[in-house]
Amino acid sequence: MIKRLFLICGAEALLALLMASIPMAVNNTFVLGLLTLLTIYAILLIGLGITVGYLGQINLAQAAFLGLGAYSAALGVTTFGCGMLPALMIATAVGCLFGGVLAFPALRLEGPQFALSTLSFMALTATTLNEWESLTGGAQGMSVPRPPIFGLMLNAKGFYWLCLILLGLVWVAMRNLLSSQWGRAFEALRDSPIATDAMGIGTHRHKAAAFILGSGIGGLAGGLYAFNFQFLQPQIFIYDLMVILLLGVVLGGRKSLWGAFVGAAIVVLLPNLLSNRLLFQIFSGTGFVFALIAGARGLLAKSTRPFQALAPVVAMGLLVFGGMFVDNTEDWRKAIFALMLFSVVVGLPDGLMGFAARLLTRLFRIIPAPFPAASDLESVLVCRQPTSEPILSVRELTRHFGGVRAVDGISLSVRSGSVHGLIGPNGSGKSTLVNVISGLYAPNSGEMLLHGVPLPRGSLFQVARRGIARTFQNLQIFTELSTLDNVMVAMKGIIRSPLPLVLLGLTGKSERRVQADGLALLELVGLADQSRIPAKDLPHGAQRFLEIARALARRPQLLILDEPAAGLAHPDVIKLLGIIRRIRQCGITILLIEHHMEVVSDLCDIVTVLDGGRIIAEGRPEEIKRHPKVIEAYLGARHVQSAGEPVAAAPELMPV
Amino acid sequence: MNGSVIAQLVVSGSLMGLVYALIAYGFQLTYATSKSINFGQGELVMVSAFICLTMTNLGISYWFMVPLGLMCGALLGLFVERAGVRLALEQKNEGWILLTIIIGLFFFSAAENIWGRDDRPFPTPISSEALQVAGIRITPLELSVALGVFAIMGIIELFKRKTLLGKAFEAVAADRDAAELMGISATKTIMLSYSLSGVVAAVAGLLVSPITTVGPTMASALVLKAFSVAVVAGLDSGFGVVLIGLFLGSLESLTSYYVGSGWREAPGLILLILALAVRPTGVFGKIPIKKV
Repeated sequence: MIKRLFLICGAEALLALLMASIPMAVNNTFVLGLLTLLTIYAILLIGLGITVGYLGQINLAQAAFLGLGAYSAALGVTTFGCGMLPALMIATAVGCLFGGVLAFPALRLEGPQFALSTLSFMALTATTLNEWESLTGGAQGMSVPRPPIFGLMLNAKGFYWLCLILLGLVWVAMRNLLSSQWGRAFEALRDSPIATDAMGIGTHRHKAAAFILGSGIGGLAGGLYAFNFQFLQPQIFIYDLMVILLLGVVLGGRKSLWGAFVGAAIVVLLPNLLSNRLLFQIFSGTGFVFALIAGARGLLAKSTRPFQALAPVVAMGLLVFGGMFVDNTEDWRKAIFALMLFSVVVGLPDGLMGFAARLLTRLFRIIPAPFPAASDLESVLVCRQPTSEPILSVRELTRHFGGVRAVDGISLSVRSGSVHGLIGPNGSGKSTLVNVISGLYAPNSGEMLLHGVPLPRGSLFQVARRGIARTFQNLQIFTELSTLDNVMVAMKGIIRSPLPLVLLGLTGKSERRVQADGLALLELVGLADQSRIPAKDLPHGAQRFLEIARALARRPQLLILDEPAAGLAHPDVIKLLGIIRRIRQCGITILLIEHHMEVVSDLCDIVTVLDGGRIIAEGRPEEIKRHPKVIEAYLGARHVQSAGEPVAAAPELMPV
Repeated sequence: MNGSVIAQLVVSGSLMGLVYALIAYGFQLTYATSKSINFGQGELVMVSAFICLTMTNLGISYWFMVPLGLMCGALLGLFVERAGVRLALEQKNEGWILLTIIIGLFFFSAAENIWGRDDRPFPTPISSEALQVAGIRITPLELSVALGVFAIMGIIELFKRKTLLGKAFEAVAADRDAAELMGISATKTIMLSYSLSGVVAAVAGLLVSPITTVGPTMASALVLKAFSVAVVAGLDSGFGVVLIGLFLGSLESLTSYYVGSGWREAPGLILLILALAVRPTGVFGKIPIKKV
């Protein structure tokens, strides 16, 4: 524990100390310029890392936010006579503002569409900065005096220290944020937006928050950029810069503050590297050898695909080989960037720091921080006395898909504290019904009431916030998060941590409580000993149990289990029965969709049978098994006549 | 406002719009089979134009150079698929966005150094002397652009509908897993779509370079607007790109005349952001049903 804290915080403190003391030891304006630029780029890349690393979206607009921040800080000084700090605040605010404007359309977008909208925003910004000559001076550029701070004029050294202090603040704030529930929420929505909404976390608000934050940081970096160079031209903030920024983020490593710093260092040093042939040859040669060793090891261990091992070797080889024949390496700057980026993206997806972090963790045997003791399950689930009043009533609900009436006028009432089974052959509308209730689809008509109050229609997020939690037939776990984090993130809407406190790092207590509660739920489903494993590495059955634990973290009044036994081995089915009974003891109402007849007859107080989008029978499990319409729906009409004794045969024949 | 000026602007704008539509069509081809597009498509247009120019300079006649140029386009498309797309698709992540940008960057830098940074004229046998049609000036060269765009799109659509290979293409586009189960190799079909997309890029290069001249940056503006067209129309919309291309092309030339030539990129960019905000699947795109 102490070793861990000492190593991690110690490394950060050492870096800060080193960075702060260099200007005192080395009196060289060139070095000082590089260092200043390094801090500015590090701030910028930390901002970009939020969208690229945590949201997992390719954001091509960060260069534009740098430009917008730079110009607005400059205008703040030239037109309004702002001091340094107000101007930087303006730059940050403008970054946030435009980030918000762009986040609105970009919210609903994924992958290529997101990349395209940010690309367009960048091009639009460049056009505007270039054409709005009365404001920006157009292509001629504008010069910016460096304003005083607290009435004090800063020299180059002073300005560098200011940049360094700001980098430190941004670094600490981001570390606090990204290791909190917010960081988990960002990663969760990357892995499954649907589950993020269904867990009441809210996809849109977190996506917007992440993007606005990243843009604001970009704006701040822009303000510093303006005061560093004291001259701005629109041509600076275009495609080329964006490529360099991507290089920095990808090369340094996503999801890592150290990665942003290393990336910034490479970006700043690269031009000098390219202009010196010897340095370039050493650099590319090292890269080539590195790619060769990593590739060969990967191939021998069969842990990488041949392409993944060979392509970086070819690319780095081309770099070394090309470097010998080309007259002027600087002319080939972009191609060199491209080859380096290519090798890293293909061969080292976690970047240099991702690789280094794994290595260092092994080398120093850093043990992760221990978890607190698990909470008492009763306190986590907030047990209630069942009232046997209806908790959920559904009246005349319909949902069509084109001409298909998937749910065709269903009325249903779920008693509080009961386990209500929902069965029916494939395509009978079970899943559509719960998808409508839980808000994935809006109903075409009908009423849904929870405790007599209408439920929101067509919003997973709002339904979740009303106290309904669900699992998914096709698993929607947050694959990259650990098992415990999957459960913890679902508590984000329950145990709140306000953003300002998070940024200041003052939420340790609620964080420990969330951990303890999460562990209690993992104990319930028998996964407590696997809490640190990435959820994607759990076996299928364990992932189903994890979904149940995650849904319970919402402290639901009504829990919808969508085929929880699908694909489970027999011992796991037995385990599932035990878990559901335990949940029920806490007074949580359960709506259970299931194919396994043994599960249904063991657990359910009442069973509703659907066929063709309508209810064909309802009653206690033993009544349902004898119901002629049910037997007909499952086995066909022919069996009904000869069904003097179908009761015994039917359960086994129910499709599984 | 002068009616004939507007008509002239609309006609010449929409001819450029057809080129955007053609490049956008190239995006659609690959999106259909693999849900990926080549962010470096503009560089493919530019490199194939340079290769065609080099062949012409070597004395190869125009009509013999055309098929060779198209073949180069297909090979470049295949290279992009192999180096930039396949791994990401196998790993089911979106690494292809970054990788295709990177490959485009490499092509750009290579072109800059091999062929130089200057814009060069592109010889063509088609006359550029203006004809007067109903008071509007239009050159045979411009007409050839329209003709070429429709010809290549028509041929590829016919291929997709009438041949067995084309039907395999459509099958993978409709449902990749089902097609694989029927013995159609999705990987090969995606290779096919990338090579077709490369051919389309080469055609675009051949058609547009006599008008715009050939240079490393010739396609960077083109491709931005092709993105707009593809997204506004919807990445799976078939001929919707033609309509949106015509619309955007004329809108742009009107903007350029009435607002200022520096702003000519703006309408496309704004349209793209707006379209994504209002209807992310595009005007003609299908809205998928979420399934869980």
